[in-house]
Amino acid sequence: MELTIAHLYPDSMSLYGEYANVAVLRRHLEVMGVEVTVRNFSCEDTPDFSDADFIYMGAGTEKRQKSVLIAAPHYTPALQAAAEGGAVVLFTGNAMETLGASVTDAKGQVWPGFALAEFTTVETDRRTPGDVVASPALWDAPAVGFMNKCSLTHGITTPLFKELSLGFGNDAEHGPEGYVSGSVFATHLTGPVLVKNPDFLDMIIRRLFARKGWELPERLPVLPHEREAYNVTLRELQARIK
Amino acid sequence: MRMFFAIILCKLLRFAGKLVGKGSSLPGQYALKLCPDVLGRVKLPSCVIAVTGSNGKTSTVEMIAAILRKSGRTVVYNEEGSNQIEGVATLILCNSTFSGKMRGDVLLLESDERYARRSFKWFHPTHFVITNLYRDQLTRNGHPEWVYNAILPAIHPETTLVLNADDPLVSCFAEGHEKVKWFGLDRCSISTGEHHGIYHDGARCPVCQGRMEYDWYHYEHIGRYHCADCGHHRHDTDFAVTSLDLESGKLTIDGDTEISLAFRSIYNVYNILAAWSVCSLAGADKATMASVISNYILKNGRMVQFTLGNHHGVLLTSKHENSVAYDTNLAYIRHTKEPCQVLIIVDAISRKYFTGETSWLWDIDFDQLNCEQVKKIILCGKYVNDLAMRFDYTNIAAEKIACYDTVPQAVGALKAGGGEELYVVTCFSDRDKLLDLVQREQ
Repeated sequence: MELTIAHLYPDSMSLYGEYANVAVLRRHLEVMGVEVTVRNFSCEDTPDFSDADFIYMGAGTEKRQKSVLIAAPHYTPALQAAAEGGAVVLFTGNAMETLGASVTDAKGQVWPGFALAEFTTVETDRRTPGDVVASPALWDAPAVGFMNKCSLTHGITTPLFKELSLGFGNDAEHGPEGYVSGSVFATHLTGPVLVKNPDFLDMIIRRLFARKGWELPERLPVLPHEREAYNVTLRELQARIK
Repeated sequence: MRMFFAIILCKLLRFAGKLVGKGSSLPGQYALKLCPDVLGRVKLPSCVIAVTGSNGKTSTVEMIAAILRKSGRTVVYNEEGSNQIEGVATLILCNSTFSGKMRGDVLLLESDERYARRSFKWFHPTHFVITNLYRDQLTRNGHPEWVYNAILPAIHPETTLVLNADDPLVSCFAEGHEKVKWFGLDRCSISTGEHHGIYHDGARCPVCQGRMEYDWYHYEHIGRYHCADCGHHRHDTDFAVTSLDLESGKLTIDGDTEISLAFRSIYNVYNILAAWSVCSLAGADKATMASVISNYILKNGRMVQFTLGNHHGVLLTSKHENSVAYDTNLAYIRHTKEPCQVLIIVDAISRKYFTGETSWLWDIDFDQLNCEQVKKIILCGKYVNDLAMRFDYTNIAAEKIACYDTVPQAVGALKAGGGEELYVVTCFSDRDKLLDLVQREQ
């Protein structure tokens, strides 16, 4: 069993610990007997998604996101084709914004996105960093994490998270957050989202096995400390909500 | 008249606050309400020094004060670390006459990097030292470029900027500013051609996002760099550490002044150099500066020695949510020679606010502890599972690692066995949980 991960801009779209999303996915897949190849693409590269099963981009600063958007037109068709072909796409933090039709920066300049979805984003001069507890649309256990955004995203009708009991959604406090359509997943949650949310990780693994036509084991692997760490974070955050 | 009453109110509230052990922000807060522009009305000393940046503010300010006092100046500074506008107002007004003239030859301010513009709306420093900009408390700060943009409006054209030339983002403050002095570290024994660390914030040019090239790195993204696309580069320095031997604890400034290090950390080197640079500009002479700064032991208590069972312990205060602070302390441990154990505590992520954010653990290069002399690593605190998971992704053998849910449990285990040197890496938010259980050395 072989699988390829394409990690876009690990050197620049890296606000904190984004690489761990790829590391934890790889570790789990390897425990399941999958041979994983990770291809890293830098800003100077034209990414090749021809054999990519999982495509990931993490959060960056506003400036770095713009350098991604400058490069975007060169491979937008390739990314669209990969997503339509069933590659699992996960964009986190402000990488999520690039999947939409456009990002309007704080000075009013409009930057076209990858256009995998019709939503649009407007940057603001106010930053809302904060802890998050979210209700997922696709799995049961609440998602936990952190958001570090200065933008509002409008026009999403299929959010990844139905509502937030803690945190700022796409365009409103406690509002729906993220985006999902087919095999494309996006959330403004920042950092090692899959490390912090074992159920999110398992959902991605299930989608990847389905794409490959592999039979899923009866139980997905649970590695040490993962569930305990999640439980502590959820407990602490929920205590704050009360 | 309002200034007069604001000064009286501030002094009274400060006096009362001291009696009941209250902090130093409140008097300034009320004074500012009474007279919002009071800081613009008070006559300040001719020398106003401000220090900001992610790391090293408190230590640098403490050393500047020590040098200038030894040089015969009367220095007023915020020793309690209240570095936002309210604390600054308290400091200035409590040291002013009722007619609004501040006492002292030098006003020295540790300035919060995000709120500097609020303080400096009403007055501006004659010298503004910017030490570095790293990933630091992103739960408050967003990210380093966001902090850069927050500091920018605080810079007055007449202020002399004293900048760390080795930090590519800090160097951007010089753009379009006439009065700039640079400090930096020449190539030395710790310099490497390769980047070390989990992430590389110098990989991309902060001006144009082009690929940066480095002649050498001192640590993380600090070093000699240039951008092949736009030409952004490390500037030649006005003040430099021209040689450094961390192992023997010696450095040379400007080729002729040798300084001994009480604490052999790269941080300490930069803090000393920053203090040296601005004191030099303020007129201190080399001999006085060297006499004060050589073997200077910081009083801010970031390094504490103690005894625990048969262990001699050294607490290296890091900052949670600040991977560079962790990395430099881990580098310090890596360069020790004797067998040791390392205790890492992550219990409360901040002492000032609540957050459950642990992403920063993934930015720390814990593999630095993968060395012969580190015999055991003890992890503990509420977030011990997050720590343990992070260690699962290092090359450190699992049998070297022990986990405990609480600090007392970890301390109990340490007491029960072993006599190696013990290094403790944790934050202000958690260190007293350990220090309350050990015997401190004076």
